[in-house]
Amino acid sequence: MLLSLCPVWAADSARWIPARWDGGPLELTRRAKDKALPADAREAIARWYEPATLSLLEETPINCLLLTFSIGAGAEAERQQHQLVKEYARLARERGIAVLGIVYPGADPEAVAAAAHEAQLDGLVLDGEFPAGYAGKLGTPALVIPITRDAASLRTSKAPLLAVEGVRPVARNLSDMGIRAGASAEPWIESNIWLVRSFRLGTEWRPVWVNQQPNPSSEGDYVRCVADAAIAGGRWMVAIDDALRAGLFRKDTGALATWRSIAAYLTFGEDHAEWRSFAPYGNLGIVLDAAGKNPDISDEYLNLVARRQVPYRLILRSELSAASLSSFQAVLAADLAPPTESERKILCDFAEKGGLVVAGPSWGDPPKDDPYAEVPLGKGRVAVYKEDPPNPESVAKDMLDLLEPEVMGLSVFNVSSAITYASTRDKSVLVQLLNYAGRPIDRVTVRFNGNFKTARLYTPENAPIDLSVRATGNGRTELLIPKLAAWGAVLLK
Amino acid sequence: MEDVRSTFSRRDLLTVSGLAAGALATRRAAADVVVPASPVSVAKVVSYDLDLVAQFEQMFDQIGGIGHLVRGKTVAMKVNLAGASGRGRQVGLTAGQTSWVHPNVVGALTAVFAKQGARRIRILESTFRKKYGTPLEDTLLNDGWDVNGIKSAASIVEFEDTNGLGSAKQYSTLKVKAGQPFIFPAFSLNHSYEDCDFFVSVAKMKNHEELGVTLSMKNLFGITPELLYGLGPKPPGASQWVRERVFHYGQVQPPSGVPPELDPASNRYEGWRMPRLLTDICGARPIDLAILDGIEAIIGGEGSGMPGTRHGKPGLLVVGRNCVSTDAVAMATMGYNPRAGRHEAPFRLYKNPKDHPPEQLIPPGETHQYADNTALMGEAAGLGTADLSKIDLRGVPIKDAVYDYEAHWKGQAPV
Repeated sequence: MLLSLCPVWAADSARWIPARWDGGPLELTRRAKDKALPADAREAIARWYEPATLSLLEETPINCLLLTFSIGAGAEAERQQHQLVKEYARLARERGIAVLGIVYPGADPEAVAAAAHEAQLDGLVLDGEFPAGYAGKLGTPALVIPITRDAASLRTSKAPLLAVEGVRPVARNLSDMGIRAGASAEPWIESNIWLVRSFRLGTEWRPVWVNQQPNPSSEGDYVRCVADAAIAGGRWMVAIDDALRAGLFRKDTGALATWRSIAAYLTFGEDHAEWRSFAPYGNLGIVLDAAGKNPDISDEYLNLVARRQVPYRLILRSELSAASLSSFQAVLAADLAPPTESERKILCDFAEKGGLVVAGPSWGDPPKDDPYAEVPLGKGRVAVYKEDPPNPESVAKDMLDLLEPEVMGLSVFNVSSAITYASTRDKSVLVQLLNYAGRPIDRVTVRFNGNFKTARLYTPENAPIDLSVRATGNGRTELLIPKLAAWGAVLLK
Repeated sequence: MEDVRSTFSRRDLLTVSGLAAGALATRRAAADVVVPASPVSVAKVVSYDLDLVAQFEQMFDQIGGIGHLVRGKTVAMKVNLAGASGRGRQVGLTAGQTSWVHPNVVGALTAVFAKQGARRIRILESTFRKKYGTPLEDTLLNDGWDVNGIKSAASIVEFEDTNGLGSAKQYSTLKVKAGQPFIFPAFSLNHSYEDCDFFVSVAKMKNHEELGVTLSMKNLFGITPELLYGLGPKPPGASQWVRERVFHYGQVQPPSGVPPELDPASNRYEGWRMPRLLTDICGARPIDLAILDGIEAIIGGEGSGMPGTRHGKPGLLVVGRNCVSTDAVAMATMGYNPRAGRHEAPFRLYKNPKDHPPEQLIPPGETHQYADNTALMGEAAGLGTADLSKIDLRGVPIKDAVYDYEAHWKGQAPV
C-alpha cells in the first residue's frame, strides 16, 4: 500500500497542488534524443533531486511533487532512479509534501509498484499511452492518476481526481497562422477553461489537473497557465521549461522572480478556493453525448462557444428531460444526431414554450443554401443547420446572432484577446476573465442580468478594488474594469 | 502655409502613371471636367495620447477653417470600423491601432466640432451583424471606446448603426449628383446620410486587399445598408456576403424598389466595378470633410485577417475638404504614387482563388489582378483633383511625412 506513511491531509488529493518536478539521471535518459538541451539545463536536470531544490517550494502553495520514476529503461538505471526518488521523497515528506511518481510507457508495472511501495510514494501518474489494464497491474489501493488525452472518455469518470492533457494557453493572430480571414477577424485563443469546466457535470467540485508544458515560456506564459487552469476550478500541473529550470538551479534573479510570480498566481487561486463551489452560469444548455461518434466535434462546440464569450451549462444526453431544460432559454442540441423520438418531443416542448433549439440537419428540413434556417415552433423556434455536423466555428459565431444579450445573460466588451467564465452561488455572481495577450487590456465593460449593488475586482497583482455598478434600465447591471493585466475576477453581489 | 509640391521628388513616375491612369477614365476626358482643388493638411502625430483637439484645430485652420460650415448644424461622421462584425483585432492591440479609426480621433473631432458650434454630432457606421438592433455604442465598447466620454464632448452626440433603417421609417434615396454615374444612378441609404448638414468621412489610412488602399472615399462603401440590399434572394453560387454579391461582383441586382444598376451587362470584375461604385457613392453623398487617421494602422490589408498584415506606426493625420485630393495626398504620404494605374503599387493585387469566384480571375486561374485607382476615378467624375501639382498642400511636407507602406508590407503578401 502506497499511502501508509502519508500525513492525513496529504492523503486528501483534493488539496494537492501539483508540480511536475522531473529530474534525475533517468529524466536525462528519457530526453536523450533532445540534442537541443543546453548544458546548464542538462546539469540542472541531473542534479534536480538534490535536497536544495526543495527550498524552492518555500513560500509557494505547491504541496505535491511529481518525480520522474520509471521510463522502462534498464534495470540498473531504474533502480538508481528509484533510490534517488526514495531519498528525495523522504525529505519532501518531512516538509509535508506529497510525492507522486511519473511513469512512462514501457515501464514494468510490477517493478514500478514494488519500487513505489518501497519509496513510500503517495501515488503514480501515468504520462503517455499505456496498454489497457496497465493501471490495474500497479496494485491496489495505490492512487494511480492517468493523464488522459481523450477528454471525452474521462468526462463521466467517477474518479476523485482527474488529469487531462491540455493546450498551451495563448492568443495568436490568424494572419500569423496563414489563415485568411475578414477585416474584423479576431485572435485565435487556445484555452483550457472550457476543458476544465467540461468535467463539471455534477454539482460537486473535484480536482482536475491540466498537464501541458509551455516550452519555451515567458513569465506571462506561466501565470497564464496557472490562471487558465484555475478559472474553472482546475489546477495546472506546474511545469517549468529548461531555461527556467537551469536559472532556478543556479538561483538566477530573473528565474526566481518568474518562480515567485507563478507562486503568487497559485496562491491567489488557493486563497479563493471558495470560488470552486460556484456553479457554472448559463441560460444556454449544450447537450453533450458522452458516447457520441464525434467527440472532437462535441468538444469543439464547448471550446468555441466559450471562446465567443457565450456562457453555457452542460446537459448530458442521458439526462435530457423537460425538468433538466426548465432553467434554460436555449439549447444547442447538435450532438443529438439524430435525436430520438422522446428527445425530439422534449425539445419540441421546450421550443413551443418559448425556447430556442439549435439542431443539425437530422432534425429535418435543413435549408438548401443558407448555413441555417430558423423555423418558428409555438412560442419559440428551432434553428436547423444545413451542414452535418454543423461546423462548430459557425455555430459558435451564430450564437451571437441567435441569442439576445438578455438570453446570454453575460455581455462582455473589449475582450477579443480574453476569455470569460461566469459562475454563481446563491445571489452572487463571479465573472472571471483571462487576458491571453502579453499587454494589458484597457476598459472592459461587463453587463450581467440582474440588479447588483456591489462589484469587487480581485487580481493576483493588486488588492481588491470596488467597481462602480450601474443599472442599465433593462434589468441588467453594468460595470467597467479599467485595466486587465491577466487574471481578473469580479464578484457581484 | 508651406508649399511642399516641389519637394515631392519621389514621384518621378507621375507623368507616365498619369497617362496610364488617364486611359482608365474612358467615359469622361479629364479635360472636359473642372475638378475642385482645395487645401489638404498633413501632420505627423506620434501618439493618440497627444492633444488631438489642438492638432485638429490647427489642421482645420490650415485648410481654411470649418467653423462657418458647422456652426448650428448637424455634423455626421461616418467612422471607418471595417464592418465591425468582430473587433478586427491583433493580439494585444486595439482595433483603433490597426483597422478602425481610433476613439481618441473620434473623441477629439467631436470636441472640435462642438467648440466650433455644431448643434448636433452624429456618429455613424454600418455593422455586419445578421440581426439588426445592436446599438452602435455596444459595438464601440467592444474596442474599449469611452462612449460616455465621447458623448460628453458635445451637448448632443448620437450614434446610429446605419446598416438598416435605424430610427427612420424609410430609406433615403440619394442620387448621384456629380456628372454621370458609372454604375448606380442612386443609392437607398439610412436617413442619417441625408439628415445632416455637414458630412465627414473619418477613415483609417490602410491598404486594401481588393482596392489597394482604404481612404476617405472607400470608407463610404460602408454607408450602403446591407439589410436593404440583401433583401433579394441569393442565387445558388453567389457570394454569401450581401455587399459582395450586389456590389463587388454584381451577381444580383438590388431588391425591388431600390435603384438598380445602369447596365447589368457591364463589366463584373470587382477591380473595375468598385472604384467606379465608390465614386458613385461619393457623388450621391458628397464628403464635406475628409479625415484620415494614420497615426497607427494595419499595413498590408484592411483588417487583421489578411495574411501578411502587420501593425505599423505611420504617425500621420491628413485632413482636407475635398475627398479626392485628400486621398491623393494621403497616398503620397503612404509612399504611393497617387496617379498610379492598374498593376502599379498598390493596385497590383493578389486574389486568393479560395476567396474569389473563378470569374474574378482573368484570365482563368490568374491570381495577380488589378484595381483601378479610386482617386483617379473620382477625378474623372469631377469630384476633385488627384494631381499633387494642383493641390495646395499645407502642414508637414510630404517628403518629411512619408511612411512607406509598401516597404513595410513588401515580402509579406504572396504578390
